[in-house]
Amino acid sequence: MKSLSVTDLQNEVERLRAELAEANDTLHAIRTGQIDALIVNDESGHSVFTLTSADRAYRLFIEQMIEGAVTLNVEGLVTYSNSQFARMVQRPLPKIMGNYFLDFILDEDIPLFKEFLSKGWTTNVKCDMRLKGLDKSVDVQMSCNILEMDDDISLSVIVTDLTQQKAIERELKAKNHQLAKLNEALIASNNDLQQFASVASHDLQEPLRKIQVFTKFLIAKASSELSETSQTYLDKIFKAAQRMKALIVDILTYSKLSADDVLVQAVDLKDLVTEILDDFDLRIEEKNASVDVSDLCVVQGNRGQLRQVFHNLISNALKFASPSRPPVISIQSKKLDPREHNLILDNPSCYCLVTVSDNGIGFEEAYASSIFSLFETLNPKSKYEGSGIGLSIAKKIIDKHHGLILAKSKVGEGSEFNVILPLKQP
Amino acid sequence: MIEMAKKVILVDDDLEDCELFLTFFANRSDIDILPPLLNGVELIDYLAKINSDDDLPNLIILDQNMPKMNGKQTLAFLKSEKRYAKISAVIYSTYTDSALVADCKKLGAAIVATKPIDNDGYQKMMDDFLRNL
Repeated sequence: MKSLSVTDLQNEVERLRAELAEANDTLHAIRTGQIDALIVNDESGHSVFTLTSADRAYRLFIEQMIEGAVTLNVEGLVTYSNSQFARMVQRPLPKIMGNYFLDFILDEDIPLFKEFLSKGWTTNVKCDMRLKGLDKSVDVQMSCNILEMDDDISLSVIVTDLTQQKAIERELKAKNHQLAKLNEALIASNNDLQQFASVASHDLQEPLRKIQVFTKFLIAKASSELSETSQTYLDKIFKAAQRMKALIVDILTYSKLSADDVLVQAVDLKDLVTEILDDFDLRIEEKNASVDVSDLCVVQGNRGQLRQVFHNLISNALKFASPSRPPVISIQSKKLDPREHNLILDNPSCYCLVTVSDNGIGFEEAYASSIFSLFETLNPKSKYEGSGIGLSIAKKIIDKHHGLILAKSKVGEGSEFNVILPLKQP
Repeated sequence: MIEMAKKVILVDDDLEDCELFLTFFANRSDIDILPPLLNGVELIDYLAKINSDDDLPNLIILDQNMPKMNGKQTLAFLKSEKRYAKISAVIYSTYTDSALVADCKKLGAAIVATKPIDNDGYQKMMDDFLRNL
């Protein structure tokens, strides 16, 4: 082996140093992205290495993001921006890079941004603010992350466009406001209605009662001095007042139905009907009526309201009795067959069907649904007293109980009312 | 021993009703109808001026709708005062619904009645009131 002189060795060190410096420069160039390809010279000739690394994929990805992506250096200068951010601030990329990011923030939001930035250098933060475009401001959300590479530290800022979201928010707010106003109006109107109902209840009935009181007085005190016709007139006045009182009470009942909503009791319909029949004792006897009640189901509901329903139905059955035969009334609970009533039900066993039928004068089938409308009467008032509200009340109550009430009838043969009630209230 | 006539006082702002009341009960010996008062405030003043508890009325009949102090409010006051709580108080009104009945019963009304329209009705109502004494 040939021995080397000191000078040779020194030259060799010099050469290696230069090679090392070159390699370091290359490395730095690769790291900082200045190089897209490398040509390496070795024994087998030239090899070309192109840099299709993950780094490049990320760059493409960032370019195509919907969000703006910006990196800032410690002085707050933009060192990188994707084109989405450039679109947001309506400027070309060269006018963004190398400029202060602060220049793209709406003046009013600069204090906010400064706070965001100072926090951003210590921790990841998010903040809503506005960018300054050329001819408009843009609502955005910014979130930042600290990027540490080699000795270099920079801040990456992701900018999300909130324009659409803010517009929807504003619209939603306006709609909510509108809704609140409408609701207020509705509550006020409901209160007025309730107020009206309560005033009507008392103030209309007061003078009416006086008419009744003083007509009665007159009948009792002066009937001997009056002609038969005059006595009939007094009788008519009294009866008219009585009818009007019944009307007012019925309207009131109807209007108050919306007011209370207690639907939680278990109501034994058999008990209920028995109780109602006790009230009708006298009229049943007078009309020589026979009433047949089968076992009825227990349902959930408002007892007072359901009482009203069956009271009205039984009262009708007695009122519209045929003049040619004593009333026969039947109140039966049956298993519900949905097909019979043209119903589509998921689970018929969750419902109870109660049928109230009579052998009274009946009505034409054509009126089967209109009889439930307010003030609908099919018979002359002179013959059958009533306000025409009874069945409307019944329907409203059954509706509130999520049930159904249906009527069937044949003139001269009788009527049948089918009440379908859910066993349990939701 | 002869039973003393019960002292009955009516509180009602309707003068016609007061008159009717006096007319219908003029002939009853079992009750002593005191001059009617027009509202709850008048009643409270009236009761306060009675020195001996023995002279307090046995039955107070309150109309519900009255100015200044209605039936319910008057009833609430009476039942809250130790001196008057034991006096039988009833409410009578042109219109009674289940809510009024429930409220008044809760406050301690012995009976809540609907104003009658003839003599029979008045006599029957008074009998009901007296049965509670």
